[in-house]
Amino acid sequence: MAITQAKTIAAQVRADFPILHQEIHGQPLVYLDNAATSQKPIAVLEAIRHYYENDNANVHRGVHTLSSRATDGYEGARDKVAAFVNAASRQEIVYTRNASEAINLVAYAWGSTLRPGDEIVLSVMEHHSNLIPWQLLAQRTGAVLKFVELTETETFNLEQFKSLLSEKTKLVSVVHVSNTLGCINPVQEICAEAHKVGAKVLIDACQSVPHMPIDVQAIDCDWLVASGHKMCAPTGIGFLYGKLDLLRSMPPFLGGGEMIADVFLDHATYADLPHKFEAGTPAIAEAIGLGAAVDYLSAIGMDNIHAYEEELNAHLFRRLREIPEIRVYGPQPQADGSGRAALAAFTAGEVHPHDLSTILDQAGVAIRAGHHCTQPLHRHLKAQSTARASTYFYNTREEIDVFITSLKEAVEFFGDIFG
Amino acid sequence: MTLGNLRDLYQQVILERYKKPKHKGVTHPVHRQQRGHNPSCGDTIEITIQLSESGDRIEDVKFEGEGCAIAMASADLMAEALRGKATDEALSMVQRFQNMMQGNGDFPIEQRKLNVMQGVSQFPVRIKCATLTWHTLKAALEAPTLAKPEAFVSNE
Repeated sequence: MAITQAKTIAAQVRADFPILHQEIHGQPLVYLDNAATSQKPIAVLEAIRHYYENDNANVHRGVHTLSSRATDGYEGARDKVAAFVNAASRQEIVYTRNASEAINLVAYAWGSTLRPGDEIVLSVMEHHSNLIPWQLLAQRTGAVLKFVELTETETFNLEQFKSLLSEKTKLVSVVHVSNTLGCINPVQEICAEAHKVGAKVLIDACQSVPHMPIDVQAIDCDWLVASGHKMCAPTGIGFLYGKLDLLRSMPPFLGGGEMIADVFLDHATYADLPHKFEAGTPAIAEAIGLGAAVDYLSAIGMDNIHAYEEELNAHLFRRLREIPEIRVYGPQPQADGSGRAALAAFTAGEVHPHDLSTILDQAGVAIRAGHHCTQPLHRHLKAQSTARASTYFYNTREEIDVFITSLKEAVEFFGDIFG
Repeated sequence: MTLGNLRDLYQQVILERYKKPKHKGVTHPVHRQQRGHNPSCGDTIEITIQLSESGDRIEDVKFEGEGCAIAMASADLMAEALRGKATDEALSMVQRFQNMMQGNGDFPIEQRKLNVMQGVSQFPVRIKCATLTWHTLKAALEAPTLAKPEAFVSNE
């Protein structure tokens, strides 16, 4: 697609997403659950189909033509991901099933170096995937978890974070963009502060890589993780970025084929990076799909996507303010929509998020209801659950208007009872 | 939007019970208690039961908890329907309710209030909301003695 000034990005790309063109309960689908997973463009679906129809073979073994094509596709996608996040080397990109697996990889392979009393700093807004692996690691090693809390405007409390850091801090693992609060955390400053005390930093970038340009060298994080399915790629593929020397120093995570150099009955030597961490036949088609997704997003331009989502965000928050019962969590955006992610987790007075989601579904509007895998944060906010509308670059202002209209109807429907 | 379907789901009785439950609280004394939760959405419920001296009849049922209109109304209607019922009859009502959620059958005339939940069967993702209270009741009744407060059942 060619991006012109005349039409919005959404107007230009919607034809690329077949799934968006359907009716739910007789109403056009309005998909606003993008923080859970994104939809997939034809280019990604075609890349997967092309691979299975033409090139399917196992990778890194065999010298036949199909094996060579499969390997080229799989490794070519790695080059695309490396460029997409500006990694210094393709060897710094390890494929995983998703961000959760990437975090577990670090927790096992690197985490075994921790000793009792060592400290791991997390925040109360972490997704369970950036919490449970560290709880397990703390149980195994005797390391201690410390938590960054929220500011009054429900953002990352940088000052309190700094006060938690000491020579005991060995790791900081925090989310870049909260899937619930929508706040964009100051990861560059977090890394700089953590490095002053010699701690490593892992960034959970699941909600940032799909929506804005990411430069791992500028952030200077030690690891960064993301899931493909939130950025137009299929499920079952994600990646771990890690600084080369650090990944080299880490022992393997899973053992098996693919990750070896020489194998004897009683010992083995391991493959060089990144294959040391990719045991077994990988998700080849999914990796190729991820490469196609990166191409697709890059053609639109991550700057353009981010700018368009800010416009949507300004509209979303402007309209949400029309409904007095709505309480949105996290910071308010600037008037131009900047300053937070284009998503809103909210409660609607007496209307339970589950009931809200059912009513919106009848209007064709897909939102999330529940705790969004951030139970401790919900406890912290004293909200049992929230509803969440989350946008992507294929959403339109008109869709937000449909969402707001349905939301008003739902609030009225229950308001009659509670009024 | 098609409010018609929603009126089937959110019948007036359900909305009223959600707003003003009649059986919220804790029984005195507590002979059985059980916590239940729906891990996918965070809904929680705690059922307490007062049994007859012989232990085979339900004197009173109350519930505490947080959840959606469907879950809370279902708990309130269940508590009402169970008063005075033999425990084995209560267990057969659990099965009858689950069948009704699958679209199979309903309750006889003397328990017909429970039939207002029938509309939930048309919303498969919401069945868990309606059955949470019944799963929790079943676990409470099947416990030989007073369950430990920290134990809970999950409907997943």
